[in-house]
Parts: sequence; C-alpha cells; structure tokens
Amino acid sequence: MDKNQAIIDYLITCPKIQDNPLYFNFIHGNEDDKQIITTGNEKTIDRPYVDGSVLKRFTFTIIDFKSVAYRAVVKDGIHVDENVEDILQVQDIIDWIDEQNEARNFPNFGEDCIVESISTTANNPNLNGVDSNVSPALAKYSISIQVNYIDVSKVLWK
Amino acid sequence: MAVTQFNLADHQRAERKQLLTVAAWQESSGGTGTHEVRELLGRRTEDSSIEYNADIQTSTDILGINYTDINKTQPQQDFDPYLILGGSKLGAKLNDIRRRNALSELDQFTIYIITAFCGEDGAYEAEKHVNCTITYNSMGGDANVNFPISVYLSNDSVTGTVDKLGDDFEFTQDI
Repeated sequence: MDKNQAIIDYLITCPKIQDNPLYFNFIHGNEDDKQIITTGNEKTIDRPYVDGSVLKRFTFTIIDFKSVAYRAVVKDGIHVDENVEDILQVQDIIDWIDEQNEARNFPNFGEDCIVESISTTANNPNLNGVDSNVSPALAKYSISIQVNYIDVSKVLWK
Repeated sequence: MAVTQFNLADHQRAERKQLLTVAAWQESSGGTGTHEVRELLGRRTEDSSIEYNADIQTSTDILGINYTDINKTQPQQDFDPYLILGGSKLGAKLNDIRRRNALSELDQFTIYIITAFCGEDGAYEAEKHVNCTITYNSMGGDANVNFPISVYLSNDSVTGTVDKLGDDFEFTQDI
C-alpha cells in the first residue's frame, strides 16, 4: 500500500479539504488550495522490537493557501478579522486530525502496517510566508502531521 | 545426538526476532474439554533476554586450580515494557488473575523457547517448559499502561521442534 496515496485518500475525507483543490508536492497556489508536501523520515527514530516489528513514523506537511488582507485588525473602532478567520479555517484541519486520532480513524497503510496514531506537531498553524507575486497575495499556512505505525512486515510469527 | 548447526550463512548474525518466547495455558473449550491458548511475548518490548541466573560454587585446591560447580540455573526473562494492548490474550488473563489476586494460577503456564536460527522451515528447534510462573511486577506508567512481567522457566522441560512460527504450531518432542 502506497502511504502517499493512503494519506491523500484519508485527507479528502476532511470537510475542510474535500471541497478545495488538493495538490501533491507541486502547485501554483490559489486561494484555499491545499498542498501535501512529503517529508523524509529519519530512520534513526525507528524503534525495533524483539518480535521483529518496528515502530516507524510517516511525516508530511499540509500547506493551506489563504488570501491576505493588509488591513489592521482594529481600525477606527471597526474590527476587520479576515486574516483571523482564515487561520481559524486552517485550525479546523488541526482539530479534525485530533478528532480522528481520538476516534482511532487512521489512514489505511495496508495489512503490514498497524497505524498507532496521527497527530499534528503543533497545536496551531504555522505561517510559512506570503507570496506577494500573485494577486491577491497568498499566505502559506503549514501543518506538520505525523503518523506513527508499527511495521509488522518482518515479523516471523504469523 | 548431533549438534544442530545454525541455519545462518557464515558470519551472519541471528536476528533477535529468531529467538521466540511463547506463553501457553489451558482454557476451557466449553463442557469438560480444554485447549491450549498461546501468545508470543515481546510485542512492544525493545530488549529482553533470558537470564539463566546460574548458582555457581567455586573452590580452589592447594595447587591453585579452580573447580567450578554449577548447582542449578533459574532461568528468567523480563518483559518491560509489557503494554496493555488490545487483543492480548495473555495480558487479559494476567489482569484477570491480578483482579482476583489468584496467585496460585500464576504458576500454571507452559513456555516454549523457540530458536528459529536452529533447524529449518518446518522443524525449528524448541524447548517446552511446563509449570512455569509468570508474575506481573507493576502496573501504570506515563502515556500508556505498562504491565511489566517476568517469566520464570521451570526447567521441567523437554526438547523438540515446532513445525511453524505461529500460534497454531505443533510441538514434536525429540525421541
């Protein structure tokens, strides 16, 4: 089972993702586009057990593109919170991941992998920067996600 | 009996997973019958060894020569962590014994030690120890519930082979 495809299949069940274009690694970002970026996973964190199974981690990042409003949050007594609303939408993805973990609803990595948990590495989105070369300018919010799973493919005991 | 050579290439190291400890016990099949339930030990345990705990007595004669006697061995294997895991039959049994404080039931286990680096597919060398004791040492931990156990082998054992590496193996005693 290709873990990248498993992640895509999993993420498109998220209400905040399924209604917007989702890209894999490469993108010309537009407002509300989502991008999955793969991350190399250090083998040094693998934990082998005496039965031959190995605890491994699959890490990836979701980038969420949001248009930028260059306005003060409070100006002349008027609250303009478009940027705040945008980041709350990104926050919804983090909350969804937490809910799935609680419900033990995990990506399907195939019969040789037992997924243990899925979690974000931070409790709130990270602002990676703003692309001012497009109009409107796009903020790139990122969420790093890690999936811990047990690889049982090398276990002798069947 | 000839010594069985390792089924490894020259200088190839045996992998840890080729040394297997399997706990077995009898459970009711309904009615009057029983059947043997088995479980491989070591899931989520990163390091575990059989400690033979040899009782050694050494004396030295007037020529300065040492004589070492081994009176007995008391083999023991600890599994720490031994996590409470869904689907663990042994974990559930030990927890049931713990709740009832039925300590006398802890010494009724059969333990198979399988050396999968000896023998061949369909006939791996094994030892079968009867009336072994498994103790639970503590319960708790941090993020997950740890229930570390110690296995005490009885040395009331026979050698033989197992035909496969799985719960439904058949143990054949050496003649």
